[in-house]
Amino acid sequence: MNTNNFSRVNEGLDRGEAFEFLFDGKPVKAYPGETIAAALMSDGQCRLGTTEKMGNPRGFYCGMGICWACRMIVDGQPNVRSCNMLASPGMRVETQRGLGSEVKL
Amino acid sequence: MNEVELAIIGAGPGALAAASEAVSHGIEVAIFDDNAMPGGQYFRRFPSTFQQFIKTKLDHDKKDKAIADNLFSVTTHPKVRYLSDTVVWGLFDKKLLAYARGKDSGHIHAENIIIATGAYDRCIPFPGWTLPGVMTAGGVQNLIKSQRIIPGKKVLVAGNGPMLIAAAYTLHKAGVNVLEVLEASTSRLNRKMRILPDLLMNPSLLYKGLAYRATLMKAGIPVRSGQTVLEASGGDRVEEVITIPIETTGKVDHSRSRRIIVDTLIVGFGLNSSIEMTKLIGCMHTWDSIQGTFKPIRSADFETTVPGVFAVGDCTGIRGVDIAMIEGRLAGLIIAMRMGRISSNEAEKIILPLRSKLLRLNSLHQKMDHLFEPPTNFLSLVTDDTLICRCEEVTAGQLRQLLRKGIFDMNRLKSLSRIGMGHCQGRNCFGTFAAIVAQELNCKPDDLTLPRVRQPLKPIYVGDLLHEDLPPYELPELKESNLLPTRWQNQ
Repeated sequence: MNTNNFSRVNEGLDRGEAFEFLFDGKPVKAYPGETIAAALMSDGQCRLGTTEKMGNPRGFYCGMGICWACRMIVDGQPNVRSCNMLASPGMRVETQRGLGSEVKL
Repeated sequence: MNEVELAIIGAGPGALAAASEAVSHGIEVAIFDDNAMPGGQYFRRFPSTFQQFIKTKLDHDKKDKAIADNLFSVTTHPKVRYLSDTVVWGLFDKKLLAYARGKDSGHIHAENIIIATGAYDRCIPFPGWTLPGVMTAGGVQNLIKSQRIIPGKKVLVAGNGPMLIAAAYTLHKAGVNVLEVLEASTSRLNRKMRILPDLLMNPSLLYKGLAYRATLMKAGIPVRSGQTVLEASGGDRVEEVITIPIETTGKVDHSRSRRIIVDTLIVGFGLNSSIEMTKLIGCMHTWDSIQGTFKPIRSADFETTVPGVFAVGDCTGIRGVDIAMIEGRLAGLIIAMRMGRISSNEAEKIILPLRSKLLRLNSLHQKMDHLFEPPTNFLSLVTDDTLICRCEEVTAGQLRQLLRKGIFDMNRLKSLSRIGMGHCQGRNCFGTFAAIVAQELNCKPDDLTLPRVRQPLKPIYVGDLLHEDLPPYELPELKESNLLPTRWQNQ
C-alpha cells in the first residue's frame, strides 16, 4: 500500500534542486541533504526491507543509526543504514532481505 | 603511532561541551561521531543544503540555537580532529580505540577517553511492534529536526515517562495530525505536589510541562492516562492499533480495549543509557531501578572504574541536555587540571558553581523520575508470539521455552536463542531479555549477569579493517596434507 503520508514541511525552507535515484528500479525524487529513508518515506514507501527468517516487512524505527531496521542495498553494497546515508543522483537503492548475502548461512 | 591526549566518543551536547572546555586549555582532542553532523540527538538540525529563509516554529529557540552554534564551532578548532560518519567499533587495553570510516579507518592511543554516547529509545515489545510505520519518539523527532518531514494523516502516540508529552507536543507543533496520546502510568497528584518546590526553582520546566498538556488538550487531542497499545496490525505497514487500559502491575482490561485506524504509531517509552562502550572497556555498572537502565559507576570526577576513562551525559543515566553539558564541561576541566594545564585554584573557581548547579538539577531530575515510579510492568503485553529480538526474529515464547528447560545463564540463553546477536547487538532487546529472565527466575535485573559486549560494537565492513596499514605477510603454502588433522590424513 503506497499511501503518500509522510510529507515534507517546506515552510520557510528551500530544498534546492530535486534529483532522482532508483528504488528497486523505480525513480524516486529527493533533494540534496536528504537521507534515503526520508526520501522514500516522503514518496509513500515505508517498507524498507524484509526479514531473513520470516520474510516480514521492516522500516524506519530508531532514527539514530542503532537498530539497522532501515538497512538497504545501496549501489550493490548491503547493510547500509538508509536513515543515515544521503541519497544522491542515480543511486541504486534496493530492499534488502535479512543479512543481505546471497548465500544462505 | 597515532596518539591523542583526549578522545571523545560522541558529538552531542555532553561531548561537545567537554571538547570545548578541554581545547580551551590547550589539550588536543579527537571527536568520534557516528553521525554526519555534530549535535547528537538534541541538537540535530537540517543539512546545510536546505536554505532557510524564514524561521519557523520547528526551529530551536534563539537560546538553544546560540548554544548549539557555540558547541558546533569546536569541531573546526585547529586543535580538534572531528571525525564524522565514524564508528568506534573497538576499545582495547591501554585505551586503544579502533574506528571505522572506510579507507580512513584506523586506531589511536588516547591518554584520556570521555565516553558521551548518550541514549536510545527503550523498546517495549507488543504484537506488531516491528511493522513499518511503528517508530520511536526519538526517531520521528530526529526526522522532523534533520529532514523536516512529518508523518501522516493518522498518528497515534503511545508511551510513558517524562518525555512523552513533550514528544507529542513537538509532533503537534510540527503539523502532525495526532489522534490521541496514550500514557501508560497514572501519576497521582500527591506525587506531583512533592516535586513542586523543585519545579518552582526551575520555572521553565514547570511551565513547559503544563503548557504542553494544555496545548494538546486545547487542540482536541486527548491525553489518556493508564492506557497503552495492546497490538498493532497491518500488511506492509501499520494500519490499525488496539489500545487497552493497563495498571502499574501490568494488569490489562480486555473488556475496555479500543480499535483505532492509524497510519503511524509513535512509541515513546523513555530512554536507555548507551552503555556498550563502557561495558566493552570493562567499567563496572549499577542498575538504576527507577529509570530501568544500567549505568556506569563513576567517581565524583566523572571517572569510571577504568582509570583515564570518563563518562558524561545520558549514557550515565538519563538526565537531559543541561546536565550533559555541565558534566562534559567539568570532565574536560578536570582532565585539564590533571594534565597540569590549569592550576587547581583556577579550576575550582569554575568547578564550584558548576557543581552546585549540577546538584540542583540532579535533585530535580530524580524527583521527576519518581513521578513515574514504580514503572509499569509491560511484560503482560508480550505474548509468546511477540518478537523480542527484532534482528534475529526471536519470540518471547522461544526464550521462555529455554528458561523452562532450566537454562538460566544469560550468555548461554543468548547463544542458543540468538537474542542480541543481530545487527543491533542487543540494543533493542537486552532490556526485554533481562526483564523476562528476571520474571521467570523471580529476581531483579541487576541480579543477572548481562551478556558480554564484544567488538565490533556496531556492524562494520571487512573493508574497514583492510584499509588499515597492515604489515605485508605471505600466505603459508597450502598442501592437501595440511588441511586435515594428522590422524585423519591416511584414511
